[in-house]
Amino acid sequence: MTASVVENRPQDSMAASKGKLVEPDLNFIREISRLGGDSFKKCYQCATCSATCPISPDDKPFPRKEMVWSIWGWKDHLIKDPDVWLCHQCNDCSAVCPREGNPGDILAVIRKYSYLYYAFPKFMGKFLYEPKYLPIIAALPFVILFVIVALFGNFQPEGDIVFKKFLSHPFPLDFLFILVAMFALVSAAVGGMRFWKALQEGPRPPVNNPRGFTAGLIEAVKEVATHKQFNECDKANPRFYSHLLTFYGFVALFITTSLVFLGLYLLDLETPLPLLNPIKILGNLGALAFLIGTGMMLYLRLTDEERAGKNSYNDWLFLGLMFGLAVSGVLTEALRLAGIAVAAYSMYFVHLALILSMMVYFPFSKFAHLLYRTLAIVYYHGYAASASEAKEALMENKQELKDETVQPNAA
Amino acid sequence: MEDKVGVYICTGCSIGEALDIEALSKVALDELKAPVCKTIADCMNGGLDVIRRDVESEGLNKIVLAACSPREDFGKDPFGQGIHVERVNLREGVVWCQPPNDEDTQMMAEDYLRMGIVKAQKTQPLDLFEEHERINKNLLVVGGGITGLTAAVEAAEAGYDVILVEKEVDLGGWMAKWYKSFPTFTPYQDLEDNGVSGLVEQVQSHPKITVRTSTEIAKIEGGPGLFDVVFKSNNGQPASSEPLRVGAVIQATGWKPFEPECLEKLGYKKFDNVVSSIQFEEMAKSGRLSRPSEGKPAKNVVFIQCEGSQDDEYFSYNSSVSSMVCLKQALYVREKSDNVKAFIFYDHFRTPGQYEDFYKRVQQDPGVFLSKGQVESVTEQDDGSLLVTVAGSMLGEKISIKADIVVLSLGMMPASADGEAIRAWIDAKAAVAKAEQEGNKVQEDVLALSRKPQPDEPILHLNYRQGPDLPVLEHHYPDSHFICFPYETRRTGIYAAGCVRSPMDALSCREDAAGAALKSIQCVEMTSRGEAVHPRSGDISYPEFFLQRCTQCKRCTEECPFGVLNEDAKGTPLPNATRCRRCGVCMGACPERIVSFKDYSVDMIASMIKKVEIPDEFDEKPRVLVLACENDAYPALDMAARKGLTYSPYVRVIPLRCLGSMNIVWVADALSRGFDGIIMLGCKYGDDYQCHFIRGSELADRRGVNVKEKLEQLALENERVELHQVEITDYEKIPQIINNFMDVIEEIGFNPFKGM
Repeated sequence: MTASVVENRPQDSMAASKGKLVEPDLNFIREISRLGGDSFKKCYQCATCSATCPISPDDKPFPRKEMVWSIWGWKDHLIKDPDVWLCHQCNDCSAVCPREGNPGDILAVIRKYSYLYYAFPKFMGKFLYEPKYLPIIAALPFVILFVIVALFGNFQPEGDIVFKKFLSHPFPLDFLFILVAMFALVSAAVGGMRFWKALQEGPRPPVNNPRGFTAGLIEAVKEVATHKQFNECDKANPRFYSHLLTFYGFVALFITTSLVFLGLYLLDLETPLPLLNPIKILGNLGALAFLIGTGMMLYLRLTDEERAGKNSYNDWLFLGLMFGLAVSGVLTEALRLAGIAVAAYSMYFVHLALILSMMVYFPFSKFAHLLYRTLAIVYYHGYAASASEAKEALMENKQELKDETVQPNAA
Repeated sequence: MEDKVGVYICTGCSIGEALDIEALSKVALDELKAPVCKTIADCMNGGLDVIRRDVESEGLNKIVLAACSPREDFGKDPFGQGIHVERVNLREGVVWCQPPNDEDTQMMAEDYLRMGIVKAQKTQPLDLFEEHERINKNLLVVGGGITGLTAAVEAAEAGYDVILVEKEVDLGGWMAKWYKSFPTFTPYQDLEDNGVSGLVEQVQSHPKITVRTSTEIAKIEGGPGLFDVVFKSNNGQPASSEPLRVGAVIQATGWKPFEPECLEKLGYKKFDNVVSSIQFEEMAKSGRLSRPSEGKPAKNVVFIQCEGSQDDEYFSYNSSVSSMVCLKQALYVREKSDNVKAFIFYDHFRTPGQYEDFYKRVQQDPGVFLSKGQVESVTEQDDGSLLVTVAGSMLGEKISIKADIVVLSLGMMPASADGEAIRAWIDAKAAVAKAEQEGNKVQEDVLALSRKPQPDEPILHLNYRQGPDLPVLEHHYPDSHFICFPYETRRTGIYAAGCVRSPMDALSCREDAAGAALKSIQCVEMTSRGEAVHPRSGDISYPEFFLQRCTQCKRCTEECPFGVLNEDAKGTPLPNATRCRRCGVCMGACPERIVSFKDYSVDMIASMIKKVEIPDEFDEKPRVLVLACENDAYPALDMAARKGLTYSPYVRVIPLRCLGSMNIVWVADALSRGFDGIIMLGCKYGDDYQCHFIRGSELADRRGVNVKEKLEQLALENERVELHQVEITDYEKIPQIINNFMDVIEEIGFNPFKGM
């Protein structure tokens, strides 16, 4: 596939007056149609979507322009557009669209396409987007884990249920996961860097006086921590709470895992930790939040079709995996505490396999939104939206307000 | 036969309670010597039977029915054939718009009764014009395109003989050149075969249709039912000189492409790969959707809706046709290969009604790209491809597209000829030639000569004093009453249909053709019964000219909106009764008052005016004459009354067939009788006129110059005569107009001629 938009060389003054040479990418149009965006051609550019969107910026608002670009197969703009990632898909736009063009869906599809586009290595992306590969991608982590346990572990340890008897530290367990994590990190780094570079060349090029990376990062952290924008679009909507719970549950679990990992090597921490250990408490609370959060999401997706937008294979895959992780994790602990050895070890095996899946597939699945969305927010606030411009706009607003309040007195 | 007038006063609908019926009867019996005057009531339940019995027993031949408005329909000949009915509007005209049992109300009712009776007395029995017995009912269809073919089939299927003439060698017109049609039925998704070949076969094999191809019209003489047509062959064959008689004509001459200058700016006729939508259609039909320059397959095809290409100066109007054609042709491109892209740039895009579904279907095609935008330029590249630059596109920035073929939409112009302009030009030529011969210079005629009409070659070659073709409106579309009578033209018995009448697609053309076929059948049938076609459908009166007193002023021949009157060499009018629509404009125009209908004449209205009792100055009761168009202003007054609106009791309203039939002498009569003022209520005129007779109120207004002269002669103020343009919906405005005028009269004072 070639890039769909070719800038005319600036030195060619004749060409410059001819504007941008447009060559719609038909394959791209077909591809996004296939990925679930088959209604965008209905758009007649009334911009009701952009007017409705609670978080769309004032300059170059989305999703109208993304709709137009999609119709015209402007792949180059779409995959380099940070706005696509500012959307949290509340689907207000799809609900009000007079043409049933579902702008919310098209943004989701562009994000989906971007996971594929920026995937490294590329074939991994393909694997995750074709339902026909599902048996392979589902079975693969299980098979690998099975082989490893068969070779280096013990399927039926004796005595108290202690999971390191099943697969011991540091080899092969940590060895395996560090290897997988390295792969995921490298993949994510390459994908992330490609994306970051693309953003600079996209429809929102950096402004003249950018606020910079740190400022952008602060904005992104604020946003991720508070879900402020998410809450903007999902006022009184359970989607906001479910995502918040899932997110914090995941963070808690991530911290727990990291602490235990460090503890094992630095402090000779004995696992399993007692239930009242602060780390254990954090882990269990996190697990609960994660379970409730993902469970809610699953429920919402099944019951509220309009809000959920068009469900596609990769939505289900990701959500299923997350929910599976939560359930298997909680069950593993419960079974261990209940002292049912066979069941506990089996569940532990399942849980480990799912973690493996999550880590391997992280950069290519919908999970990668963690990476791309965060980068887009950093870029948007740090480079695309100018600090001074924002300030000026704020001042102008204030001035206007002032003028308005002064006038009645004068009269 | 001696006149016997029966006067019947209805007492229903609160007329009986509001008026002194006995006093009214006295007016009829004592003052106007009516032999019979009775009251009636309850018309819905046999109340009118009294009249029918009296007609039988008393031998009445004229009935004055003083009851409701004449707009209240009692059907044709309610009291028997040949019994003239004169309606006096006591209900809406008096009691519903005036206070009951008031002196002024009673005076008003009495005046109306006087006017009605005198009008009845003056009315003469109607007889049919003599030509009605010789009416030919065959139809002539001019043009063998989709409209002409459909009209011919429709008329033939209805049982009429049709002659179809086509100047080209083959039938089918433009449609025969087209590849496919856009959808014409639900769900409006797929292209259709255009079906014109089947229609051609149907026409050629129909026993009631005679087809003459390669034939044009040399001359048409006469009028509806009596048209004599001479044809000429345009392929070298000897022309038949024998005229053929037909009853009505359908002009379905279609359209011609309009190629304004702006197309050249877009590379039209400059670059091989820039083609018109017509050329593209031909390319599609032959299956070659490749670059015309060297036949390389086309990957990108750009369609430009030209009215969006520059400003609107080149296209002063646009239709939905080019939008639909554009969508259709985009599908030709997509049909060819899934990898070929079609771009459509437009400024206006119109897909009316259900066609919206087709628009949506094309829009849904992944390879069709639609955008509003102004095409700035089309330039040729080294490889023969074209670079199309579009500003103001939906993409928010200036863009350019590399195109293999650029298709430009053309405009549609009616294939009509401006009959009046051609006539004016011929007259100017003759005048200039004459002036040169005599050694004079006539500036005005030279000026007229410089305005040579385009095209200057007539199509119908009508032998009409007002020109050889239909009068046209702006943009050269034949003039008709667009809202009320779309197929009508200003030449009775000649109906315009299809693209010559308005830009339209094939589906509309077929509908138009069927409509025009039915109108022409209606025309020959009604003409054969001596009736007017429209809008005074069924009227058997017709104007008669007392030519001994004609001064050959040519006002009637010039002013008749329908070209009824030809002229002899001296300028004496030569009437053609079957062309007439009975509006009376000729009667209004004639300064010698030689034009009359048996039931509508200058004398009749003048007598009515003179019958109005004018109280003398000391009574402080002014009188104002209202001359109201009976098509719009008069019903609006009725509606005002029905809505309970009131107006001054000092007005006396006379309905006219058309304000154009208003003769200046009535103004003089009214003012010298002592009327204090005159209001004329006519229809809106100008380009979007509302007049049933095209120019009636405009002509009345033009006669205003003469009105002023009359006022000057009488040493009266100009303000005493007003003309207002009103619509039927202006019922709230008209009482206001009347009351305001009464204020004016009060200000300038009474007519000094009162009581003289």
